Amino acid sequence: MSAPLPTQLADKLDAISEWTGRLIAWLTLTMVLVTFLIVVLRYAFDLGWIALQESVTYQHALVFLLGAAYTFKQQGHVRVDIFYQSFSPKTRALVDLFGGLLLLLPVAGFIFWISWEYVAVSWELKEGSPEAGGIPAVYLLKASMLVMAGLLIIQGIADMLRQLGILFSRDTH
Amino acid sequence: MEFLETWMPLIMFAAVCLVLLLGYPVAFTLAGTALGFALLGYELGIFDPAFLEALPNRLYGIMTNTTLIAVPLFVFMGVMLERSKVAESLLDTMASLFGSLRGGLGISVTIVGMLLAASTGIVGATVVTMGLLSLPTMLKRGYLPSIATGTICASGTLGQIIPPSIILVLLGDVLSSAYQQAQLDMGIFAPETVSVGDLFSGALIPGLVLVGLYILYIVLLAWLRPETMPAMSSNDVDKTTLIPRVIKVLLPPLLLIFAVLGSIMGGLATPTEAAAVGAVGAMLLAISHGQLNLPILKDVVRSTTQVTSMVFMILIGASIFSLVFRGFGGDELVEELLTDLPGGKVGAMLAVMLLMFLLGFVLDFIEITFVVVPIVGPVLLAMGLDPVWLGIMIALNLQTSFLTPPFGFALFYLRGVAPPQVTTGHIYRGVIPFILIQLLLLGLLAWWPGMATWLPSIIYP
Repeated sequence: MSAPLPTQLADKLDAISEWTGRLIAWLTLTMVLVTFLIVVLRYAFDLGWIALQESVTYQHALVFLLGAAYTFKQQGHVRVDIFYQSFSPKTRALVDLFGGLLLLLPVAGFIFWISWEYVAVSWELKEGSPEAGGIPAVYLLKASMLVMAGLLIIQGIADMLRQLGILFSRDTH
Repeated sequence: MEFLETWMPLIMFAAVCLVLLLGYPVAFTLAGTALGFALLGYELGIFDPAFLEALPNRLYGIMTNTTLIAVPLFVFMGVMLERSKVAESLLDTMASLFGSLRGGLGISVTIVGMLLAASTGIVGATVVTMGLLSLPTMLKRGYLPSIATGTICASGTLGQIIPPSIILVLLGDVLSSAYQQAQLDMGIFAPETVSVGDLFSGALIPGLVLVGLYILYIVLLAWLRPETMPAMSSNDVDKTTLIPRVIKVLLPPLLLIFAVLGSIMGGLATPTEAAAVGAVGAMLLAISHGQLNLPILKDVVRSTTQVTSMVFMILIGASIFSLVFRGFGGDELVEELLTDLPGGKVGAMLAVMLLMFLLGFVLDFIEITFVVVPIVGPVLLAMGLDPVWLGIMIALNLQTSFLTPPFGFALFYLRGVAPPQVTTGHIYRGVIPFILIQLLLLGLLAWWPGMATWLPSIIYP
């Protein structure tokens, strides 16, 4: 027998966060290597490019913005778990369900809504770097705020579906 | 209504703390509760939603903050050292080096705790690592459970105050904007700055003194009550292979950490650059231990992403919180409350330290840095306190808080990984001497701020 529909949906939504996270994670390695390269070029050859410098900022921002939903899925966002850890699984599911509904979704929704205009203006101008020789893609960087909010909403829905599954499951552990 | 208008910021703060205790992830609790209050305040006509329009700009500021780029790089370095078992073999080698001395294992744990400082800087992570690595060994060697757990808890929290901890990077960034704001408020338009490097060098002497005091305590105890921490029997240690092992295992990580710290303090490199060099060094160390392969690399990049995202989501949550807090007039309220306290800056400092100590029972270092320091920092600094000294006092204070029963974070985390024969009572009893040491050092530093401010003043005149 296949899993119930909400679980299937949750699996599909989870997969989005999981795969963006796994992909984006490699940027931490490239950040290390590019920054190292910048240091070597500067100290050994007295060379430097603004675009290279800026690329580290881009990678850094993408890691924590696009990794947020993945981190949520992996339970990587810290909780104050003094009481939470001693709750029963159903109580935890209740906390997570209402947390998702009243905290995560409104926050992600709000960030999406309030950033829309800000990103749209930048997008219209095809806003580039304020520095000469910088990466001409500030509008794309800014748009990643919206992507973060979107991924968090998707992950939030997936998580709430799972909590509902726990709450309505018959077995009592 | 007037009551609400005045006290709303503090009501909101209390409400956030209560909601946090339910256990939903901190970042979204901070932001979500604050947004709820903003909506309530808007309905009541005491909150101007225009305050929230600054959010996208704040977000973009966080994304492009160059100081904070050091965070993922330091985390990468720390996780790499941990996953590639460099830390583990460090402890092993230290233990065989000092193991034949009474209390030698305890000393090794303290020193490794200090060296792991570069690791994640999250209380839980270091205490758990140290607990898993060393508690079973210490118990097996006949250490009293209370002494073993006390040493591990205290050493696990050392990572916050010893540079290059990411906590100091975060604190440095927050204090630098607080310092600018304080000076602008005082009408100084060419403000002095405080940098992450200042904080690193300021933390060095107090941090080393702290480690020294820990070791002194262990040595004294080993001398007075040898039965509590027996020496390893000497046939556990093979002397002939020891020297090469020390050179191979101990020296490289030490050199790495000295190189990273030295280049920052010597002004050769920014913390970000030094962190990248440190991360590459950590990879080379992992290679030399034959521990760098695809699965480990995957594990390292994924853990780094999670820790980084966790830290920055809290920063974003805290920004939303502080915009709403400011919108309710919270900044003025806190300033009034602090300046009205008896005792001037001493009274204000004491009150803030006490508040942070209590908050440390509920919140981790990162949350307090992002939520509380931006609110109280400018007020304290405007009273004429030194930013580096303030930063180190905060770090020491919170570290003490994390060790204090019954709520200290470190105790919880160690409890979670300790074998069943170790009771909570053992852990509580074991940390008390270390708490006293912390208080002693806090007192010393309060009495003699030069301990923190002297080194930065000669390095960055």
